[in-house]
Amino acid sequence: MSDARPAKTAATAAAAKTAATAATAIDIRAVMRRAADSLGAPAHDPPARAVTSDLSVDESLLLHSIGWEAVDVVFGASVVSIPPMVWTWGSGEITAASDAHNQAVRSAAKHLGEQCSGVRGHGVVGVRVEVDVMRHHVDVELTGTAVRPVRGKDRGSPFVSDLSARDFTLLHNAGWAPIGLAFGASFVYAPRRTMGTTMRQSSQNVELTNYTEAMYAAREAGMEHMQRSALDMGAQGIVAVQVSEGPMVFAAHAIGFTAWGTAVRLEAESHRYLHPEVVLPLDDATVEFEAQSLR
Amino acid sequence: MTAPPSPDDGPPDGGGTGPDGDLPEAAGRRLGSGSFSSGLTVPDFAACLQMGLRPVGLVQGFCVMQWGWYGAGSPYMRGMTPFSFGGGAPRGVYSESYSCPHGGFMYSNEHRIWGQNYQQPWVESAWAQGFGSAYTRMVEEARAVGAHGVIGVVDSTRLLADMNVTEFHILGTAVVVEGAAAPPGGEPWTTYLAGQRLAKLVEAGYMPISVIAALSSVRVWAYCITEMLMEGTTLSFGGGYMPVSEVEQLSRAHIAARSLAREHVRGQLGNDTLQGAVIVANTQSLAQGDEVIECALRGTRVRRFKDFDPLPPARPTVRLS
Repeated sequence: MSDARPAKTAATAAAAKTAATAATAIDIRAVMRRAADSLGAPAHDPPARAVTSDLSVDESLLLHSIGWEAVDVVFGASVVSIPPMVWTWGSGEITAASDAHNQAVRSAAKHLGEQCSGVRGHGVVGVRVEVDVMRHHVDVELTGTAVRPVRGKDRGSPFVSDLSARDFTLLHNAGWAPIGLAFGASFVYAPRRTMGTTMRQSSQNVELTNYTEAMYAAREAGMEHMQRSALDMGAQGIVAVQVSEGPMVFAAHAIGFTAWGTAVRLEAESHRYLHPEVVLPLDDATVEFEAQSLR
Repeated sequence: MTAPPSPDDGPPDGGGTGPDGDLPEAAGRRLGSGSFSSGLTVPDFAACLQMGLRPVGLVQGFCVMQWGWYGAGSPYMRGMTPFSFGGGAPRGVYSESYSCPHGGFMYSNEHRIWGQNYQQPWVESAWAQGFGSAYTRMVEEARAVGAHGVIGVVDSTRLLADMNVTEFHILGTAVVVEGAAAPPGGEPWTTYLAGQRLAKLVEAGYMPISVIAALSSVRVWAYCITEMLMEGTTLSFGGGYMPVSEVEQLSRAHIAARSLAREHVRGQLGNDTLQGAVIVANTQSLAQGDEVIECALRGTRVRRFKDFDPLPPARPTVRLS
């Protein structure tokens, strides 16, 4: 008997939940009809200015669920030159290329933040990062949507984050806040082997320590730049780090490594655990066949 | 109020030959056949019926435009005059001039003593004409079948052969909203969304008004500093190479192109919202130091029809499978 009691309680709770869901389910046909008929009437509570957003419907709804809204699509771009002759053979880090890359990202993020402030956004989410490293210049383009709390007050320094609105919502619910885009890049030379070493290794299966060391050096320096930029912003850590690495197309003896992610800081007193609900789907659930109510 | 026709009612006005207007005869026959076609996926089609949207036909519009502005002998090869400060651009058109800091002609005839970023409104308006004509033709088909709206809109542009010719193509599924009044002025609403995504949007309190798209075009004529920085020929007066520097002219051109596209879209939005914006930027090099940056921005214009009513906070789940 004692074993049956919790099962009954769970079943009762599930039934009550189902009944509550049924009671609040929305007649989507009636809503659609009302929406279509509304076109003949004046706009309902229009915003003071047009809003643009590149968020998906789901992302917009998630933002609304935590009391935030999209304000405007914003852009940042920067082209920074790389001095001539830096890609020729040498040793160590190619500091001019690393500096150009880091400066281009900083400048593009600054433009993005300025556009966000201009429309009274509190930050930019879902930032799409596009970086092209060419022989003589680095091009960086950032695109995202400025967001703010509904009827929120202005905020001094907006954050820039490449997290999706979904991830931003999760982070927000857990008590954390994005601070900015942390970025680090490093380019290093793969040192030449001597003629003798090259000849000796030509028929051997051996580690090319020059390349291993160059990759190591580039990774470490790139990660260090990224972490330094996060610490400078006052962040406690970086989430969703992405990396891109490999030899340069136009200079195969030079190895590039870039790393970026969103710098975050705990805003709540302590981390809030979200306690996800475990779901065991009993269907193939690969298609959404019917328009279902969200409530 | 005009009740929208049903496929069961037989062919719409225009008799057995299809709808009125200047639609191609074949389109008239297809739309007037009494059956419907739809570009929706099966799940979207089912969701559409669930919402009380009845598909009445696949509607589409085309427009082929010639791009003659970049060709040899084009009157627009170098835009405005360098001698009027601000570029001499028409009022409200973006333009910035850059002057050589090296003392003008003292180097050579090839030295670029001035440069300019300038908006190309003639390109933008031609693009808007191409997109607008294709869109209008699609909506004309939707009106002809008595639709309230067009959902699941897909648009594309492609170059035809090697002729500086671009084709604009736009299509979607015309639908009737069961039991709803005819749209104002008989003008069907349009949206890129369909299926569950459209249902979510409507339930959240937004009604689609129309798809919106705009293109911005900014031409960059590099001046000496920009050219040197981009080509890696930067010798300073001291004899060394110039250090890492921002290429101000290009950075500003990139931001201007994107901002102009956004402003073009804003101009069509009124006080409404652009949902699901898609931004595609493209840089084309026409010659050394001569670039065009184009940015296309498209999305669905939506309008709130009920109070702000946020959903309850989402419950995180872990899925066992």
